[in-house]
Amino acid sequence: MFKQLLTLSTLSIVVASAAFANETPIVGNVSSKCSIYTDKAGVYGNPTPDELSTLPADGGVLPVVRYDVSIADYYTAKISWPNSFSSSPSLTDAVAWDGEIEVSNTSDAGMAGYETAKIEYDNHTEYDLTVAGSTWFKVTSEALYGVGKALPGGEYKANVVAECIAK
Amino acid sequence: MKILNIIAIALFANSAIAHELTPTYPKILPSYITGISVIKMKLWNRRNDANFYEIDVFDSEWNKISFASTDKIFQLDYLEQKNFDIYIKDSDKNKISFICTSSKQLKKDVLSTGIKTRICSKIK
Repeated sequence: MFKQLLTLSTLSIVVASAAFANETPIVGNVSSKCSIYTDKAGVYGNPTPDELSTLPADGGVLPVVRYDVSIADYYTAKISWPNSFSSSPSLTDAVAWDGEIEVSNTSDAGMAGYETAKIEYDNHTEYDLTVAGSTWFKVTSEALYGVGKALPGGEYKANVVAECIAK
Repeated sequence: MKILNIIAIALFANSAIAHELTPTYPKILPSYITGISVIKMKLWNRRNDANFYEIDVFDSEWNKISFASTDKIFQLDYLEQKNFDIYIKDSDKNKISFICTSSKQLKKDVLSTGIKTRICSKIK
């Protein structure tokens, strides 16, 4: 009787140990994904009566947009500087728009070539996101009103468009 | 330099606000309606300055393609996710190339230069 009990208890210990030894795998997948972060909203400075500019030298704040891509070579970034006001006081003359999109920071040394490889047309700039990680882009926007005319007093707003398009 | 980048990412990650659309390459699936297919998408709003999003569907030349969904413009509060279905005609299955969501900001929420974000997934 004692021997049977001993055998049974030994068996149960072995079974229990085997159960505890089971592996619990943790499975994860990284799927392709693009996230656009609006890191800094820009502000227009008013260096001269007829000009609005986001350049810090003109009293403005440059908008900064960050793109995160989880897998390389899946997305194109297309960023457009404003070419019209989304809201403004009533204007009686034309506004001349100008702007520039530049890489301001990167999380990977492999992104160093983004700035030279960018494609610019109209008010758009396209970057091929060929490296996984984060890229920061700064946006310069300038609006020059009429010919030597002062901009009417009031609030001016314009939109930067940041797009991430799957390839 | 690498350490500086990591610190910069960590600092920005705390304050950053984002817009995400998945999957990158969605599949066109049959729906329960004859002649209509469905595409299942997921949007995550991590922008605290944008609470409205618009859905658009385009062909490879960026011409709009008609589609049906419960809402074409919808409200999605900060840190909320939304799964949405896009219904298209079977005859448009071979034309459709991009499904995009664009952020919409209320006039009062834009300081000076607002940032409109748009993410487009592609049908392959």
